Amino acid sequence: MKKLCVSAIACFLYSTGAFGAGFQLNLQGLRQLAMANTGTAWPWDVSTIFYNPGGLSRLDGMQAYANINFVMPSIKYVQTPTGGYSAETKAQTFTPFNLYVGGTLKKHNKIGVGLGIYTPFGSGTKWDDNWQGRYINRSIALESYFIQPTVSYKINEKISVGAGFIYALGHVNIQQALPVQFANGNDGSGTLDGKANGVGYNLGIQVKPIKKLSVGITYRSQVKMTVDNGNATFVVPTSLAAEFPNTNFSTKLHLPGVFTLGVGYQFTPKLVVLADVEMTGWKVYDSLIFDYKTNTDQLADTHTPRLYQNTTAIRLGANYKVINSLSVMAGLAYDPSPVKDGYVSPELPDANRYVATVGATFSPIKKITILAAMEFVSSDKRDATFLPANFSGKYQSTAFTGGIGFAYHF
Amino acid sequence: MKKIYLFGLAAISLASCKSKITPETPVKGNADFTTYVSVGNSLTSGYADGTLYRSGQLNSYPSMLAEQFKMVGGGDFLQPLLPGDAGYPSPKRVLGYSTDCTGVTALGPVYYSGTMDTAGSSTNIGAQGPFNNVGVPGIRCIDFSIAGYGFFNPYAKRFYASPTTERPIDEALKKRATFFTLWIGANDVLGYATSGGSGIVNGYGQSDISPLSVFTATYNMVVDSMTAHGAKGVLINIPDITTIPFFTTIPAKGLVLRQGQADSLSAAYHPVGISFTAGANYFIIQDTTSPVGFRQMHAGEYILLTTPQDSLKCAGWGSLKPIPKQYVLSADEVANVQTATTNFNQAIATAAQAHGLPVVDMNSYIKTLVSGITFNGVNFSTTYVTGGAFSLDGVHLTPRGYALAANYILLTINNTYKSTIPMIDVNKYSGLRFP
Repeated sequence: MKKLCVSAIACFLYSTGAFGAGFQLNLQGLRQLAMANTGTAWPWDVSTIFYNPGGLSRLDGMQAYANINFVMPSIKYVQTPTGGYSAETKAQTFTPFNLYVGGTLKKHNKIGVGLGIYTPFGSGTKWDDNWQGRYINRSIALESYFIQPTVSYKINEKISVGAGFIYALGHVNIQQALPVQFANGNDGSGTLDGKANGVGYNLGIQVKPIKKLSVGITYRSQVKMTVDNGNATFVVPTSLAAEFPNTNFSTKLHLPGVFTLGVGYQFTPKLVVLADVEMTGWKVYDSLIFDYKTNTDQLADTHTPRLYQNTTAIRLGANYKVINSLSVMAGLAYDPSPVKDGYVSPELPDANRYVATVGATFSPIKKITILAAMEFVSSDKRDATFLPANFSGKYQSTAFTGGIGFAYHF
Repeated sequence: MKKIYLFGLAAISLASCKSKITPETPVKGNADFTTYVSVGNSLTSGYADGTLYRSGQLNSYPSMLAEQFKMVGGGDFLQPLLPGDAGYPSPKRVLGYSTDCTGVTALGPVYYSGTMDTAGSSTNIGAQGPFNNVGVPGIRCIDFSIAGYGFFNPYAKRFYASPTTERPIDEALKKRATFFTLWIGANDVLGYATSGGSGIVNGYGQSDISPLSVFTATYNMVVDSMTAHGAKGVLINIPDITTIPFFTTIPAKGLVLRQGQADSLSAAYHPVGISFTAGANYFIIQDTTSPVGFRQMHAGEYILLTTPQDSLKCAGWGSLKPIPKQYVLSADEVANVQTATTNFNQAIATAAQAHGLPVVDMNSYIKTLVSGITFNGVNFSTTYVTGGAFSLDGVHLTPRGYALAANYILLTINNTYKSTIPMIDVNKYSGLRFP
C-alpha cells in the first residue's frame, strides 16, 4: 500500500469506506425496525416494497406510508496501547426517510403495484478538525436515495412473487487534513464532493405453506454507484498549489447485494415471531480506486485495499397485538462486521454490532396507523489498526435511532 | 400519547447511549521518572534548520519525553531556553524563494529574514539552572571529560554554571537524575563527514574521527557517572550518517547532460579516458590521490548538501571543473565513517551491557526511515524537504522527526522498564512549513 503513494507527501484519501457497513441503514420501515429489521417473511404494510416485493400483492388494498428517522451515531476513539488521548465524533442527527405508495389493485387483487423511495445507505462521521486521525479523515457524509417502482403477483394463496427496479442517487462529501503546513503551522486540507448514481433491482418471493407459517426470500442486487466529475478541492500553501490542483475525480462505489431468508410464525392470534438471516456480499468491496483528472507528483490516483468479507446477520423480532388498534414490537439482532483486522479506519471504525429495538403501532381510526420505533445499536470494543495509514486505536460506536411514521389505508 | 411516551424514553436512553471506553492508565513500571536528565549533543538540544532557536528547544525530543513522563510521575523539565526564535548564533533556514544563477526562481532553503529577536542570547543563564536538558550542539563524546569545555563552545558557555572550569559531565550530574537518556557520539564522526573527510582518523580536531580508545573510556566514564546514584536510563546509539539528506540529496550521478554537452565534455576529457553520455552522469570530483588530481565519482560516494548550487549550475563544477574535495565524501572516507560508526556503536552496546541498560538502536530506526514510515496517515522519509522528518540543514530533525525518534526511545523504555508510557502524537508537532 505504502508503495502506491510513496511519491506523495500525503496519500490523499486513505479513507472512504463511503458506502461501508456502518453506513448501511436498516431503517426502511418502522414496524420492521421495531422488530430488529425482520420482515422478509411478513407483508406488514406497503414498506414491504423494500423488505420483500413479493409481499406487495398480499396487502389488502392501497396504502400511502411516510416516515422519518432520527439517527444519532457516536463513535469514541481511544489511543492504544495506553494514552492520555481519546476523541469522540461530534454529535449529529441524520434524518433518513421513507415514502411508499402501493398495494393491491381493486379489480385485480392478485396484482400489487407500488413505488418506494428509501435510504438504504447514509449517515456520516465528523471528528474534531485537529484530532489525531485528521490526515486520514476529518469528516464524511453520505446520502443515498433509492427509487424503486415495484410489481408483485400472487400466484395463489400460497405463493406470491415481486420485483422492483432500483434507480439510486447519492451524494458523498469527504474531508481530511493534508500534511502540508502553512507558514503559520496550519494544515492544508482536501475535500472530495461528488454525486453518484446507479441502478439495481430487488426480487422477492413469499411462500405460505400453512396458514400460520410464512417464508420469504429476497435478493437486493449490488448497485454500482458511479461518481463522474466529482470535485476535488485543496487548500494548500501557495508554493504547493501547482502540486494540488483543484480537479475532478471519478470513482465507483459498489453497494453490496443482500440475500435474505426470513421465517414468520403466528404462535397465537396475537403473537407473531419473525427471524431473518441476511447475507451481505461485502466482498465486492475489495478495493477503492480514485481517479483524478489531473495528476501531479503529490496527487496520484489512489488504490486503497479494503478486503471486506461477506457477512451474515441474524435478526429476531416479535409483534404482539395488545388490542385491535394497538400493537407493540421488540427485536434483537446481531450484525457482524465485514471489515477485517488491519482495515478498520476512523471514518468508519466498524465492529460487530448488537441491536435492540422496540416500537408500537396505533390506529386511532381504521384508515390511519401511527407508527413509532426506537433502535439502540452498540458495537464491540475493537482494538484496531488501519494498516495503510498506520493508525491504531480502540473504537466503540453506538447509535440511537428514533422513528415516527404514518400510514393511510385507502 | 404514545409518541410522547416514546420520546421521553428516548431522552433517557440517549444519556446512557454513548461509549464509555477510556484510555488505560499509564504505569511507570520499575523506573523512576521524577527527575529526568537528557545528556547529548545538538540532537538533544533541539537544534534544527542549521541553528538553535527557542521553538526548536521547546520541541526537543527530551522535552517531548518529559511531557510523557509527567503521566507517570515525571517532574518539571527545565531547558536552557534562548530568548528568541531567529536562531543563535546564525539565523535559521526557512523555506522560501531564491533566484539562482540561471535566473530561475524556486522554492528552497533560505536564511530567515524576519525579526532578529536574539538579544541576550549569549548571556550566561547558569544561575537559572541546573538544567534537565544539558544537550550542547557540537559536543563530542570525548569532550565530556574536558575541564573548561564551555570556554570553547558558545552553547555550553550560555548555560554552564562555571563554563571555564567545569567538565560537561559535571553539568549533567547537577540535577541528580533518577532517569536519563544519553545520546552522544554522533559528533565524533560527523565533523569528519561534514567537512568532506578533511580531517584524520584517530584525531582530536573538530574535523577528525575521535580515537576509539578515548571514545570508549569517556563514554564509560559518562555512563558510570550518570548511574552512580542508581539512576536508570537508556543509551541511544549513533545513526549511520550516510543515510541522512545532508549526504543523499545531491546524487553522485547528478550531472545531467544533453547530447551536445556530453560530446564536448567527452572530447575535453578524452586524454584521461573519461567519457560522458546524454542523460545522467557521475560528477567530476577532486581527488588528490589521482595522478591528474581528479576523477569521476562512483556509486556510494556522496556530495554534501552545502555544495554551492550556483557553482554546480553555472561555474562548471562537477563537469568542467572538479568539485572540491571538502564537498565530497569519497569511498575511502565513507568507509572510515562507517567503520567508526560501527565501532562507536559497539562501544555503546558494551557499555550498556556492563551497566544493565538498554540501547535504543536509532541507527536501525533511521535506516527504516530511508524506505519510509507512515504515522497516523503521514508519510515520513529521509528525503530532503518532502520527507518531512529532517529539517532544512539535512542533519537535524523537524519537530515531527524528533517526535518519531522520541517514540522509538519510548518503545525501548516501555519494553525494558515494563512501563506503559503513551506514544507521542507525532503530528501534534510541526513538520516543514511552506510559504
